[in-house]
Amino acid sequence: MTHPSSPSAGGSFSRALLFLLIGTLIGLALGIGLHTATSGGFASYYLLDIPSWMLGLLVGTLGFFYGLLGYYGIVRGLVFQVIGTLAGILLFSAIRAVMGLPFFDPAKFGFHEGAWVFGALVGAVSFLAGVGALTDWWKWAKGEPTHDHHEDIPGWRKYFGVSLDHKVIGIQYTITSLILLSVGGLFALLFRVELAESGLQFLTVLTPDQTAALNLYNSLMSLHGIVMIISILLGIAGVINYLVPLLIGAADMAFPRLNAFSFWVAVPAAVILLGSLGLGGFDTGWTGYAPLATRAPIGIQMFYLGVWVAGWSSILGALNLVATVLRMRARGMTAFRMPILVWASLATSIISLTATQLIGLSFQMSMFERLFGMPFFNVAKGGNPILFQHLFWFYSHPAVYVFVLPGLGVISELLPVFARKPLFGYKWVALSSIGIALVGFLVWAHHMFTSGMNEYLRVPFMYSTLLVAVPTGVKFFSWVATLWKGKIEAPTPMLFVLGGIVVFLMGGLSGPPNATVSTDLHLHDTYFIVGHFHSTMFGGYIFPFFAAIYYWFPKATGKRLDETLGKWHFWLMTPSFLVLTLFMMRVGLLGMRRRIADYDPMLGFDPWHLAMTIAAFLIALSVLIFFYNMVKTLRSPVMETGNIWNSRSPEWQVPSPMPAHNYEKEFEVVGEPYDYGLPGSTYVKM
Amino acid sequence: MTQHTKQHSGSLFQGLVIFVLLAFLTAVEFFIAITNASVLLLSIAAIIKVGLVVYYYMHVYKLLEDDDEHDHSSFAWKLATNRLGLWLFLLSDAFVFGGMFVARFNLLGFTRPHLNQELGLIVTSALLVSSFFMNRGETQMALGDRKGFLISTSITFLLGLAFLLGVVFVEWPEAIHEGLTVDGSAAGGIFFLMTGMHAFHVLTGLIFLLVILRNGLRGLYSAEKHWAIEAAAVYWHFVDVVWIFYYPALYLIGKAL
Repeated sequence: MTHPSSPSAGGSFSRALLFLLIGTLIGLALGIGLHTATSGGFASYYLLDIPSWMLGLLVGTLGFFYGLLGYYGIVRGLVFQVIGTLAGILLFSAIRAVMGLPFFDPAKFGFHEGAWVFGALVGAVSFLAGVGALTDWWKWAKGEPTHDHHEDIPGWRKYFGVSLDHKVIGIQYTITSLILLSVGGLFALLFRVELAESGLQFLTVLTPDQTAALNLYNSLMSLHGIVMIISILLGIAGVINYLVPLLIGAADMAFPRLNAFSFWVAVPAAVILLGSLGLGGFDTGWTGYAPLATRAPIGIQMFYLGVWVAGWSSILGALNLVATVLRMRARGMTAFRMPILVWASLATSIISLTATQLIGLSFQMSMFERLFGMPFFNVAKGGNPILFQHLFWFYSHPAVYVFVLPGLGVISELLPVFARKPLFGYKWVALSSIGIALVGFLVWAHHMFTSGMNEYLRVPFMYSTLLVAVPTGVKFFSWVATLWKGKIEAPTPMLFVLGGIVVFLMGGLSGPPNATVSTDLHLHDTYFIVGHFHSTMFGGYIFPFFAAIYYWFPKATGKRLDETLGKWHFWLMTPSFLVLTLFMMRVGLLGMRRRIADYDPMLGFDPWHLAMTIAAFLIALSVLIFFYNMVKTLRSPVMETGNIWNSRSPEWQVPSPMPAHNYEKEFEVVGEPYDYGLPGSTYVKM
Repeated sequence: MTQHTKQHSGSLFQGLVIFVLLAFLTAVEFFIAITNASVLLLSIAAIIKVGLVVYYYMHVYKLLEDDDEHDHSSFAWKLATNRLGLWLFLLSDAFVFGGMFVARFNLLGFTRPHLNQELGLIVTSALLVSSFFMNRGETQMALGDRKGFLISTSITFLLGLAFLLGVVFVEWPEAIHEGLTVDGSAAGGIFFLMTGMHAFHVLTGLIFLLVILRNGLRGLYSAEKHWAIEAAAVYWHFVDVVWIFYYPALYLIGKAL
């Protein structure tokens, strides 16, 4: 792949070869130097030392890519991250050596656990420096001026480096989210194959022995959870980033540099997270409960650190969104003329901004317990393992509202467009998002009915949890009433909206049994919970997310996704998912435990699990069709630049794709946002 | 000119009055702790102190100042937006500190680690006095007194440094010497976590102060445009606010173990 302007942009093949040579020599020298330092003297045969050569080749390869593709921010970032990680590990180990402690730790993947954690942290910061997300702030600290708007490189190359344009960042988020969705989905497929039949037969093929197979199962299961969660967080950030400034008529987010930082900090976080696989994985599930976590392999530290770093993406993105919505709305857009998606984004961001700190704290405390021996969760020394669960769930329950609120906002946003009717009960729907967010802060301990926490906490948390059904019910009544007697059209986005409503209803209805103490004591840690959770995530996030992509893809690219392939995607995914989730709930009710690699064949779950595995593969196939659709559409020359959905929303009143600086002139809001089908009503005056 | 001088002495005088009140309340807290150790009274004192700092030193009311500015490239609009962003960040950060605060009561209840009371009072005073000088420095810059700003901020920096060194190099070794180790008990763990996280924030605040001192020396700020100074000051006071809660939580409340 040669680009005419590549050499002038700073990369070329000869440069790459030079960097390969220099990098190899540096790595080799470092390796031999280390060998000499640790063994007490140099011997000539060290020149053929295999680990040193491997280090040399690693650094050389990095140099090669840096030389060839260094003009892409992301390549620079990744090269910096690897080098930063290595440097951090070596620095930490060197300090240990100076203090008279061993440099290497053969029992823990070569280095001390602290060295790995420190290295990963230095690597993340190095990534941000390498990609260029810190450059402007460094200039500010030095008192140097920066440009308010900097122009992006035209074409697709701008997506691989730091851009301050919220639309570019939104697409970067979305693509990263889809990549992680595929990775997390792949992990699910792997352990689903293992579960298709009782006994251990698949993962044992990939691993030397049964213990390793079980460890791999645990790591895949845990990583599936957390990778999907990060994917969802990035996906909603993508939707919010791309759309909210357009919907409220802003030229950009309130803090464009912070916006870029929020995205780029998530990339090294994902790398660290996946790096846990190389350090023994972790067997705690995505919840990382102590005290099991204090005995898990080092992989758990990468899990904790990855989530901690990704948390900053979420927190700072939310901060930006709140400031944007409060400060940058178009003239005439009063609170109750804001689109529902903006309300939902605001509600989501209130949770992300505040509660995320608590999962960060719980993970940090668990990390410190492992690193420094601080016995927060060790009962023998006065600690309390329940404390971890309280801190963890204070975020991690509201987090599910972070995941679904924007999706439910998308549903409310699109439904009136395709039903050609006003949204029923606009004010109630707007406030229901805020209501869910606020009640969401008071429900966390319903995850802990069986944990041994004080019993008097059970009933209040049961009632507060059931209370969430009220604002959620408001949304459902609004959707049904909006559809009622509407002139419904059903192109692909609308199909996904309708599918989302049905699936989310199933997720919602399977919720109260888990919130009710008497039934939860039976259902806790069974596949019923897994089925419930996947229904809420698919209904509240996956379906609306795909609806949003099908709906706004033409706005972003000027090209419309293929309808036939879109319908294949929908009609393949929906029944498969229903099979998957309903069967999960069924085997769960019958006593199938979650998080386990094997089950008793006498339980008779084999055919049900086989069906679930097949359903999972069909969902994966449907997503592949979606990816093919995206590639095919992007390559096709047919342009769709008009208001193809006949929407009232301001972003559709200008031609697609959206111009670089959004609206040429500010628009003014003069009416209600969702008065579809009412003659003579207008929403915005362009 | 006289008008200016009057305003000058007025806002500086206000800062002094608030400081005297804060110092008085701190002394009252200490007195409560050594007499009846009432948690209610200690909480009331802490909340009053925080209220004073948040209103008079951090000027939280500026968030509500109505600006009719619609031009998003104007300084006034950016200033108000930056202010909002900073306060949102502090709100977020407050949840970390709040989480540790709750964890402390979850783990220790109404008992507290045995610590050196004199030392605790000294470092607390250092931080409190530093907040006074921070406020003074910011006010001086707002009144156009660059030299006064530089002096006051330098004093803030030195006091902050004294606090940091006092905690890390005097208080910690002494606590360890008294048997409150990092890995010995949950009490030790939470003590080092709370003071360590706070000290980390003091460190970042000190770096921030160095940045504004350097840029102030180069004359980059004016009476009208000094957002960086305001931000550093608000952040510095926030770190003080955290300590206003942490000091009684670690040193005063409950029975010493």
